[in-house]
Amino acid sequence: MAEGPRRRLILLITLLGVCVFFTVVQLFKVQVVEHEFYAKWAEEQRVRAVRMDQPPRGVIRDRDGHLLAGNGVRYAVEAAPVYVMDKQRAAEALASVLHMPASHLEAKLSQRDEEGNYLQWVRIVSSVSKEVGERVADLDLRGVTIKPLWKRAYPEDELASHALGFSTVVTGYYGVEGFYDAMLQPEPIEWVGPVDVESVPIPWEPIEGEFPRRGVNLELTLDRTVQALVEAELARALATYEAEAGTIIVMEPHTFGILGMASLPAYNPENYSRFADRDPLVFEDPAVSRQYEPGSVFKILTVAAALDSGTVTPNSVYHDEGWIEVGGQAIRNAMHKVYGDQTVSDILIESLNVGAAWLSTSMGRDVFYQYVQDFGFGEPTHVDLAGEVAGQLWLPEDIEHWHPANLGTNAFGQGVAVTPLQMVTSVATVANDGARMRPHVVGRRIASDGTVSVYHPVLEKHVISPETAQTVTEMMVRVVEEGPEQARVEGYRVAGKTGTAQIPIPGGYDPDGTIATFVGFGPVPDPELVVLVKLDRPQSSEWASNTAAPTFARLTGQLFTVLGIPPSGGASVAEVGP
Amino acid sequence: MIRAGDRSSEEQMSQFLEWATHGVRRGRLELDSRPVIMLYVVVAALALVAAIYLGLVGRTAAQGRRIEQLQMEVFRLQRENEQLAVEIADVGSIPRLMERATALGFVPAEQVEFLPDSD
Repeated sequence: MAEGPRRRLILLITLLGVCVFFTVVQLFKVQVVEHEFYAKWAEEQRVRAVRMDQPPRGVIRDRDGHLLAGNGVRYAVEAAPVYVMDKQRAAEALASVLHMPASHLEAKLSQRDEEGNYLQWVRIVSSVSKEVGERVADLDLRGVTIKPLWKRAYPEDELASHALGFSTVVTGYYGVEGFYDAMLQPEPIEWVGPVDVESVPIPWEPIEGEFPRRGVNLELTLDRTVQALVEAELARALATYEAEAGTIIVMEPHTFGILGMASLPAYNPENYSRFADRDPLVFEDPAVSRQYEPGSVFKILTVAAALDSGTVTPNSVYHDEGWIEVGGQAIRNAMHKVYGDQTVSDILIESLNVGAAWLSTSMGRDVFYQYVQDFGFGEPTHVDLAGEVAGQLWLPEDIEHWHPANLGTNAFGQGVAVTPLQMVTSVATVANDGARMRPHVVGRRIASDGTVSVYHPVLEKHVISPETAQTVTEMMVRVVEEGPEQARVEGYRVAGKTGTAQIPIPGGYDPDGTIATFVGFGPVPDPELVVLVKLDRPQSSEWASNTAAPTFARLTGQLFTVLGIPPSGGASVAEVGP
Repeated sequence: MIRAGDRSSEEQMSQFLEWATHGVRRGRLELDSRPVIMLYVVVAALALVAAIYLGLVGRTAAQGRRIEQLQMEVFRLQRENEQLAVEIADVGSIPRLMERATALGFVPAEQVEFLPDSD
């Protein structure tokens, strides 16, 4: 080959070689040396964390499986104006389904950004029913989409509203919804992978990881039928006795599981926002969140403590002069009555303030307050409901608040504030042979994988001996049998006690109202129910014996029937009479 | 123009053609056939691997899409299920049962008698 062409060929090859060399070097640099940088850059552009469709919140059922809180479906209607070509036609079609002015919808579908471009996303309606949402989908309008939403549903309306609480789209509040919110919440799962410009996952590869899990389902100890009866009786009591408010709790004394718990006024948890401006706040459960002076029902515990500590026997006698001085303060019986010689049993039967103060002073403050605390007062019961308060119990160590007279007044339920749940729990302790358990409303938890966790009753303390409990029970039976007949339940031996408490106001007690309470259990000797009835400011009569006691009797009689609890005496087959 | 018999012109043309083509024609490339075959084999292998890879990616993407569709279907059925559970509970709720019972003429039992068990 001539020298010229050869040289040119070599030159060409050299040039090409240099180009290839630099290309290879550049490729090596990009793909090997700076691999991580470019890989990260590419990933940032292409890969997004996408929250997958939200699974439902855990549902709440009663102990028989009836749904109390479930999940309804609603839809949000959204649009991407940039993709809606014929906006007028789309607006008219939507208007016929959504029952909104077409002009308004067309304006929404024509929204532009600051640069004059149609928006990528607008929300047309935040929430429509399932049927309406599906009709929108059937329109098959390009650029218009529906997005499913969960809406908490309470099929029983207001039933057990305080115990259940309510849930927004995101969070549960009050009651079981609030207490178990973290457990009821579905597990949000984010999928990380390549997405398109609208952040829709590109199925480049199978989506790995776990499927989103729904929240844990809860099965309560509440019985729907019991709850309905409780609410009906409470409503009837409020109407009959013209009471402002009220609470009823029904508890199983062997497990301390709550069968029914109602307070009025109540609310519909599905429409909670309509009740948000009520004063006092209607969402708080008065059974656990509000405290009151219990009055004479507290004498049950004073008597139990005095007997269990050996301070007195049932037949111990004291001379009732109508008053007793404790800590420099004169304590008198109701209506300033004088009773003369009385036994310990009489203190309960006649509801003697002087006798109760005599017992507490005889025990001494250390013993008395130890029992009061052992019965669970002054601290929350730790029930699984949101918003529980501890009540108010001043102890002698608290020199700023406690006064020596408290030893006398506390003995008959004055100067001490309790929640209705604390009160019924302490009486259930007597019904349960002196063993105080932890009250609860959730009996079983069912995880999304089907794992079932059964609640095992928690023993808090053996407060009094079984013998003392039996003795106090018999005294309480005598209260019903020898006291006001309104509390008697035909065919059943029930134990109980009334309490008519004054309402503390700044500077003293309100002369115009009382809180009437009746707490009892039955059938004796193997009680299956403990029932507390509390009525606030009944107008027809200030006395619990005329208001709370008959409510207790009516309700308890129905509960015995509904739950198939035979009367004391052996009958066991129920028949509905004429 | 080059005319016949114009000796100097023919020589010039010859020189020009030689300049233009001679180098190439004369510089015949005598390549060994084995590396070429090897190159063909490598290219073919790479093409095969690429085709297989493309096929796998395609199948995986199709499966991914299918799984995504199934997941969407699961979500849809889950929603249907939850909604139906609520509707069933609503129909069987105590307020609705009370309404229905009252409409059918039922009244609350006023008096319940217990009979002794024959055993």
